[in-house]
Amino acid sequence: MKKILLIFVLLGTLLLLNPVTCREDIEDNEFAEFEDFEEDEEEQPIRDTQDTPGGSRGRIIDQDDEGNEDDDVEDAIVEDDDNEHLQDEEEFEGFDTDHVRGSGRMDDRESPKITITKVPLHFRTNWDSFYLEMLMIAGLVVYSINFFTGKSKNNKLATAWFNTHRSLLEENFSLVGDDGKMENENPGLMKDSENMYTLWCSGRTCCEGMLVELKFLKRQDLVAVIAQLMRPSHDQVHIKIDMNKEDMDSFVLCVATKKTALRLSRDMADLSVYCPERRSVDKYGLPSNFNLMVEMGEVASALLDSRVVTMINKYADLVDYIHFSDQFSGPKQPEDTTLTKLPETKKVLLFGFNIPVKGRSVNEAMEQMRPLLQLVFYCMEKVKRFRLSKEAKNKAEKNRLRVEEAFLKTTHAARAEAAAARREEKKRQEKERILMEDDPDKQRKWEDRELKRQMKKKAPKMKQLKVKAM
Amino acid sequence: MHGNASNSSDPRRPDKEHRYRPPVPTTQAAPGEDLTPDFMNILGMIFSMCGLMMRLKWCAWVALYCSCISFANSRVNDDTKQILSSFMLSISAVVMSYLQNPQPMSPPWASVLQ
Repeated sequence: MKKILLIFVLLGTLLLLNPVTCREDIEDNEFAEFEDFEEDEEEQPIRDTQDTPGGSRGRIIDQDDEGNEDDDVEDAIVEDDDNEHLQDEEEFEGFDTDHVRGSGRMDDRESPKITITKVPLHFRTNWDSFYLEMLMIAGLVVYSINFFTGKSKNNKLATAWFNTHRSLLEENFSLVGDDGKMENENPGLMKDSENMYTLWCSGRTCCEGMLVELKFLKRQDLVAVIAQLMRPSHDQVHIKIDMNKEDMDSFVLCVATKKTALRLSRDMADLSVYCPERRSVDKYGLPSNFNLMVEMGEVASALLDSRVVTMINKYADLVDYIHFSDQFSGPKQPEDTTLTKLPETKKVLLFGFNIPVKGRSVNEAMEQMRPLLQLVFYCMEKVKRFRLSKEAKNKAEKNRLRVEEAFLKTTHAARAEAAAARREEKKRQEKERILMEDDPDKQRKWEDRELKRQMKKKAPKMKQLKVKAM
Repeated sequence: MHGNASNSSDPRRPDKEHRYRPPVPTTQAAPGEDLTPDFMNILGMIFSMCGLMMRLKWCAWVALYCSCISFANSRVNDDTKQILSSFMLSISAVVMSYLQNPQPMSPPWASVLQ
């Protein structure tokens, strides 16, 4: 926050200063023309006084008795005396008077045309006018400073989370951190981008693996930081557990804050199909800002036991969503894509938690989140032990069959078309293969066979009835 | 029945480890994916071409900013060559604009005030 204010103050002062200095420059330039005149004016009186020292002295002497006319006469006489020797040609030796007079006459005839060429402002002499460029460079410098500070802050948060939760993870999983390569060269937290870190843990009962995604705010991008000021959001931890097929029964359940619940019920394929309505959570003792989406009521009452409810109540501002599903296939596909097959479903447990960074040190915030990871493991064990009652199981099976049939109906036309296209393709390939062969006999034989096949298809289908001979 | 050597309270099962398979990058963007770096990359290239062809200084500067934003938002497994080339293109646009016309940039509000 302080950093951002500093940045804004810097930019603001730069913006304010530069136009002011620009204006002063303009003012200086405006008066530049007049400067010359003032100089001339100053020079002229000086010249006048210099030219007629004798004259002025003459005036002082004659002030008492004579008027100005006498002074002028005296002045004129003096001037004539001064210039007489200049008019005398004999005074000057080796001087070409004709040449001088000639050039003088030329000057009188035509005034030389003076064109003032526009000289571009040079950087070194007039760099005040490059204020916009300096502003741009200052902006880039500020952006890069923010990049490095944001990157280091996110890195600090990620390593703090990992160090705080490492012991708990190592107690529960035999493999903590996998870089996805053939040999696990760099086990531990993996960086996806400057604000996204992932961790894969595996080797535990009841689940295939757990993927932890740390989605931080984009502190490394100044544009995102400014957007964050206008629309605040949180740093989040997303946990996705792939359950073993035998360790989870068929149900769909989701508890989420109102905003997230709205988004999930709209975007997630399984929630929109199996849990069409959002219910209130007052019955279960959860805070009122949460919504519940569940396929069957008994699932909610069985899984949202007292321990889970107390944890959610205690960390109400940290829990974003808890989503258990055996039909999870990710977000809904966009409308224009046509599918011929139902998307693959997996049995997953999804958790989303907010990281309480504001007003706390990094380590404190991560310590506060440790109980939530314990809640994750508790839920895993609970789901493993939970089994639906017989009626609930039948209902769940019926729901799933119904969904599949509906899907098959809508895609029937598309599937038929795809099948026909496949058959055509097969025939074409066979024909090509036959044509490629050099042997004409074989070709003829194949063509005859094809013709027979076509005739059989065209002929009306008749059932043969065997009549017993009496 | 309890033949396994591991402690019954220890949930770890080293024999049931699954290796991490990074999600296959599809040509179609997944709905949750962030398209900012690609978008800014293309925008930066467009602005630098505009700046070079039409000799607009502000276009070249905007292109440089777009390249920086694209770099900041890029993922680790993104192609660095593309981002580098975008940077080089925008820097060359800025340099060329100033070589051809060493005048300082005039702010857009100057024309409005006049």
